[in-house]
Amino acid sequence: MTNNSTHFSSRRLGLVITFGLTALAMLYLSYSLPRLLPGDFVTAMYASSQVTLTAEQEAELRAYYTEEPGFCSYLLRLFTLDWGYSYAFLTPVSVLFLEALPWTMLLLGAAHIISMSLGFITGVEASWRHGSRIEKGMVGGMTFLEGIPEISTGIILLLLFALNLQWFPAVGAETAYAEVSLLTRLADIGLHLTLPLATLVLAYLPGNFLLTRNSMIMVIREPFVTTARAKGLPALRIRYSHAARNALLPLVTRFGLRLAFMITGVLVVERIHSYPGLGTLLFNAIQARDLPVIQAVVLISSLMVLTIILILEMLYRIIDPRIDYVR
Amino acid sequence: MKRLSTIFRGITVLILTIGLMGSAGVLVNAQADEIRIADSKGDWGYPNPYRHYPRGPGYVRMSWVFDTLIWKDENGYIPALARSWTYNPDTLSFTFELQEGVKWHDGKPFSAADVVFTIEYFKKHPYRWVPIGDVSGAEAFGPKKVVIRLKKPYAPFLAYVGGVMPILPKHIWQNVTDPKKFNDPGSFIGCGPYKFIDFNKAKGTYLYEAFKDYYQGRPKADRLIYIKAGKPLMTLSTGKADMANIKPDMADALKKNGMVILINARGWNKKLMINHTKAPFNDKRFRQALAHAINQQEIIDKAHRGFGCPASFGLLSPDHEFYNPDTPTYAPDQAKARRILESLGYKKDGRGYYSKDGRPLKIRLLSSNITVAGESMADRDGEVIKHQLEAAGIHIDLVNMEQATTDAKVKKWDFDLAISGHGGLLGDARILNRMINPKATGSVNSARFGANKKLLKLLKDQVAEMDVVRRKALVYKIQEIYADEVPAISLYYPASMAAYSPKKGIKWYYTKGGIGLGIPIAQNKMSLIK
Repeated sequence: MTNNSTHFSSRRLGLVITFGLTALAMLYLSYSLPRLLPGDFVTAMYASSQVTLTAEQEAELRAYYTEEPGFCSYLLRLFTLDWGYSYAFLTPVSVLFLEALPWTMLLLGAAHIISMSLGFITGVEASWRHGSRIEKGMVGGMTFLEGIPEISTGIILLLLFALNLQWFPAVGAETAYAEVSLLTRLADIGLHLTLPLATLVLAYLPGNFLLTRNSMIMVIREPFVTTARAKGLPALRIRYSHAARNALLPLVTRFGLRLAFMITGVLVVERIHSYPGLGTLLFNAIQARDLPVIQAVVLISSLMVLTIILILEMLYRIIDPRIDYVR
Repeated sequence: MKRLSTIFRGITVLILTIGLMGSAGVLVNAQADEIRIADSKGDWGYPNPYRHYPRGPGYVRMSWVFDTLIWKDENGYIPALARSWTYNPDTLSFTFELQEGVKWHDGKPFSAADVVFTIEYFKKHPYRWVPIGDVSGAEAFGPKKVVIRLKKPYAPFLAYVGGVMPILPKHIWQNVTDPKKFNDPGSFIGCGPYKFIDFNKAKGTYLYEAFKDYYQGRPKADRLIYIKAGKPLMTLSTGKADMANIKPDMADALKKNGMVILINARGWNKKLMINHTKAPFNDKRFRQALAHAINQQEIIDKAHRGFGCPASFGLLSPDHEFYNPDTPTYAPDQAKARRILESLGYKKDGRGYYSKDGRPLKIRLLSSNITVAGESMADRDGEVIKHQLEAAGIHIDLVNMEQATTDAKVKKWDFDLAISGHGGLLGDARILNRMINPKATGSVNSARFGANKKLLKLLKDQVAEMDVVRRKALVYKIQEIYADEVPAISLYYPASMAAYSPKKGIKWYYTKGGIGLGIPIAQNKMSLIK
């Protein structure tokens, strides 16, 4: 027992060290990679503008906007939660980040929850009816959907529901500066969310469905499911409490990894629908070579991947205690 | 019966009265609640001189808040903060008589001291849109008269200073030492027709409110809103925006929906940058061969469905008052291009490409999406040009890059050929200096061509020539030499359009010579005044 607990602690320590080192490497990459981009803020902003700069004026601007803190002071500043100032807005990067984050969370969070729940339920139900026409139809339909890229779905939905039927607004997160009550505003946000959300749900749903269905088909062949059936348990309980729980693991992994791509993953949809969010923030920052913003977004998204992987590690043990026993 | 008739007459009078009141109400309510303008990028910085992005849409957003001494409408210069202006060649000075009753957004009165302060402030803290190096100083004569003195004759003064320089309130800016970091609400106090209320950076939206005490009268819309929307066809058709720049192929559909379509004059050109600092491009004959190998109309037809117009090789637009109709031109002629190349010692190899002294003629062409009037334009110009040059025997390596990367390479002369573009071709002829002079190192659109000394002298002379006729003659000559030298090739003027809904009673237009330094955007603030 003592041996076992020592083994566990050393394993956990090893895990923490591994994650710590990875985080440090990511910090370094977030510092160095944006600096490798060709061009700089002054070139991106002024080079093809209406303003023509002489060499002296250019050097003066570059001196104003370029800061080279060195990796150590960059680290120090990060630990004091100082992410620097955006060159373009001359406002703290944290303000920009926090302005964009809620919209990405709303869009991506809703898309993941809906697509995961729907994918899970439809996947379980389809696998339970394995070999039936419904199952074959669903697999065919979802495989077809899986093949359509987000950009196509987004534009088709826009043409149909925004331009022709005019049921939903085409762009934005809400009607800008509308002087309305809170309830009307919420309804307006919901209306604006519909099309980008539908685009993302249609993109994520097929994968979730196919993954759940495939896992479930393996699980329902297991002896414990046969035993549950033999015991005469209700079908619903067998499906969800016994079988589906065991088929959940790959879906949780997919959910976590997808969430980790929250910045790049929604960029296409944000661009099509002019929806605010972190993807657009990063896209604009790269175009303008706004180094502090690029650094912050790259760093936070990479740390997010790391954190999510760590959380998944823990979640696995809760969902499937066998993982702990194996160790 | 009599009673009935009385009742009937009473009802009629009542209906007529209500009708009259209603129509009177309509007249009174000619004031629009709000105007919404859609823009695909959304974010153009904060609307004050030091914080807006240095491209046209950034300046336009600022222009609602800050007024200049004079302004332009669809016909040319009009009074703004100055009601009249005169030039005295003996003293090299411009005298501006200022308007009465002008107030800043905070209610304080505007005076000549603010104009003097602005010039002094811009000298200390340069505002890049307004080059005031040739201004020696300014002096106020009472609260309503200001004299601005020049160091030497400077023909583009009105175009580059008087009509562009936003006037700052002295009482706010006099203690500001770092204007770029000044983000106090006071930094948005101007005396323009609209007060700045909000800029949402994440959503790319702007809110302005009408300044009711504006000296030229109350603006026609109470609120002015910019929204970020990359689909002008949809936003205009669904009534989510009242005005937007559009692509030419949307015009018919929008016209059917009752929109008014505006077509701009030819003031923006797509350009082929040539690295004339190295061989073989440092030879004028080689550049001329390139010009003959390129078919401008074919680029317009194949990459833009015919929406556009071949450009003058002399840089200035044919719609410019100084345009020289005798500017040399290069008819598309592959055979002539080949003849020139062969006269330069090039010989065709087995694959049909030219080579010289055993070295193949292989040229790298950089292409990227160019921003036109604030809208990023994807096109296939690079592919068409590659096809044309290869047909003439020049092996082309086409490289598509993101715009900032291409810009960085062009600026460092790390390229052979690059597709670029810029506007300002309808504004003051000083654009020729900006787009040719080798001192313009910060621009990726400038040819930065210093090999022809005569051309450089003419450029210097034309900005110092205050006589319009003589200046025109100099500009004619510049176009001839520029076209002969072909340090860069102007390819075509893309069709530039905007659409607006007439329902709000606002008439938008394209400004003569473009807003400010020549911005080809139909969002002139005077559309909402008078």
